[in-house]
Amino acid sequence: MKNPARAASAVLTYGFVGLMAFLSVFPFIWMVLGATNSSIDIIKGRLAPGETLAVNVAKFFTQVNVPLVFWNSAKIAILATLLTLAVSSLAGYGFEMFRSRRRDGLYRAMLLTLMIPFAALMIPLFIMMGKAGLINTHIAVVLPTIGSAFIVFYFRQSTKAFPSELRDAAKVDGLKEWQIFLYIYVPVMRSTYAAAFIIVFMTAWNNYLWPLIVLQSNETKTITLVISSLASAYYPDYGVVMVGTILATLPTLAVFFFMQRQFVQGMLGSVK
Amino acid sequence: MDKLVRTHLPRIAGLALASASFLAVTAAEAKEITIWCWDPNFNVAIMKEAGARYTKAHPDVTFNVVDFAKTDVEQKLQTGLASGTADALPNIVLIEDYGAQKYLQSFPGAFAPLSGTVDHSGFAPYKVELMTLEGQVYGMPFDSGVTGLYYRKDYLEQAGFKPDDMQNITWDRFIEIGQQVEAKTGKKMMGLDPNDAGIVRIMMQSAGQWYFDKEGKPNITGNPALKAALETVGKIMSANIYKPANGWSDWVGTFTSGDVASVVTGVWITGTVKAQPDQAGKWGVAPIPALSIEGATHASNLGGSSWYVLESSEEKAEAIDFLNEIYGKDIDFYQTILQERGAVGSLLAARGGAAYEAADRFFGGQKVWQNFSDWLAKVPAVNYGIFTNEADLAVTAQLPALTQGTPVDEVLKAIDAEISGQIQ
Repeated sequence: MKNPARAASAVLTYGFVGLMAFLSVFPFIWMVLGATNSSIDIIKGRLAPGETLAVNVAKFFTQVNVPLVFWNSAKIAILATLLTLAVSSLAGYGFEMFRSRRRDGLYRAMLLTLMIPFAALMIPLFIMMGKAGLINTHIAVVLPTIGSAFIVFYFRQSTKAFPSELRDAAKVDGLKEWQIFLYIYVPVMRSTYAAAFIIVFMTAWNNYLWPLIVLQSNETKTITLVISSLASAYYPDYGVVMVGTILATLPTLAVFFFMQRQFVQGMLGSVK
Repeated sequence: MDKLVRTHLPRIAGLALASASFLAVTAAEAKEITIWCWDPNFNVAIMKEAGARYTKAHPDVTFNVVDFAKTDVEQKLQTGLASGTADALPNIVLIEDYGAQKYLQSFPGAFAPLSGTVDHSGFAPYKVELMTLEGQVYGMPFDSGVTGLYYRKDYLEQAGFKPDDMQNITWDRFIEIGQQVEAKTGKKMMGLDPNDAGIVRIMMQSAGQWYFDKEGKPNITGNPALKAALETVGKIMSANIYKPANGWSDWVGTFTSGDVASVVTGVWITGTVKAQPDQAGKWGVAPIPALSIEGATHASNLGGSSWYVLESSEEKAEAIDFLNEIYGKDIDFYQTILQERGAVGSLLAARGGAAYEAADRFFGGQKVWQNFSDWLAKVPAVNYGIFTNEADLAVTAQLPALTQGTPVDEVLKAIDAEISGQIQ
């Protein structure tokens, strides 16, 4: 730090990083502070801890059937995550391992589906679910998400780093294809699975539009729908909304912290 | 044991059979009416109250009130109607008045006409007009956004004005008063959000005009009420008697914090005004100021919504009967929802009830609900058409030009061009 130019650049760097950190953390701080304030104070722009946390929490728990709503969200998110990982990792494995002339054409066609906005699929999908008698069921929320083109893509890219020697060796040892997948591939790709788990879980937990369309009753609603309904009142009680938002953030936060190390590894490439 | 079974078995079996058939009978007769609406503390709570009243008289009919956000109800309704999947729709749905014609005209046959059953002549005429299409009335009028001029008696008194001075004034007089209020008290006369065209809509409807004419054609450049409304907003801005607000919450903050001397908006704001106990006794309510053009009145409306029955629903008959029994006739119900939720319905006969006749201590003993229900009957009926939201956006986009001193006729032309571009 003897060099003044260096010191200045350090100040600039830290200043910039600090500012960015503040900008990303601020909404979170605001949410937590908001949960402790009354709606009127929030509107007035109060940014200090208040005294109405207990009141807000109590109101949230009387207005919302919390266990049921969280159970619905958790059921959908966990089911969607497990099924997506199972189906999409198999597809990613298959796309990379098995060579055929049509492979890449098919793969590209699948990636193209990423470009179709969900709004365009919504009504046909809704009619399909209606014909299948699945409207207002959690199965209808989960089904369209499990064949995820993005996760297939993610697994295929990660599989490129999976050493083919491992597969060959396993074959020599007499393992069948499904055994190779289950006993060799899955353990080796652990961190890829962890990263995909976080991505899919978060998407499923936060999913809004499709559950909104397909779920019809108070008994099947998820936490995102409940918060949206609370927030759109003519005079929303923002303190209560903030309590709901914090509670809704906790599960994804927990999943992320729990799998953070694997997540970072997975992003860097799982096989070293 | 054996004997016990042998003697009791027939009885048990008989009981089981009887209860099974009993269940089957109730299943055939019991009806559940599903309702979609928004706002757990307002529409949802009111509908639950209405349902409870109906179930008391008709124990075989129960209610399932599902609450979604307002935009979510619209999204679900749109998807359900567009997909033609009838069992995906509720029996009754709440639709905002400004959007009613859009649904009625875009999905012909989707909603059940109520004309034959419900006596619509008992409701505020403007509410009935907005749900009428080709001679049929499709909805059950619900909450009203009849407007009033809420003013701070203490600030106005300091400036030398009595409540009598606030009755039946024009907007020009309102601006004069505003200037004196600021000179004497340092307070601005009103809060104004430049991105909200609500005040323009209030002024325009008070003179019996809208963005669209009776046939639904754009009515912009030749619309004297819209022109006068924009001119008035321009005058308010150049007289600088307003406190600028950025968004709804900020606008609400202008009067809850005591920074402004008056509020012109729908009756549903009353609860928010009264939520400030330290301001008790300081507020009064008067009819809104009138524009200085032909056909101008002191009554208008902002917002409000109504109930609609889906034609395809299995419980259609029960749903219509329910709406008619409670919303069409139950005066006592209207007293309850006014007292508990601050909801002003559109049934004119409701004003004869005790809650409507009560004097309000917050407003210094003024019978505010009587006043509002007087004005409710006088709100001019207009055709909201199917593009009110689009027109509103066009007006909002041009409000800044107005502040910069662009002549009103040019602003009108720009709005007209933008609307024509959007609704082709």
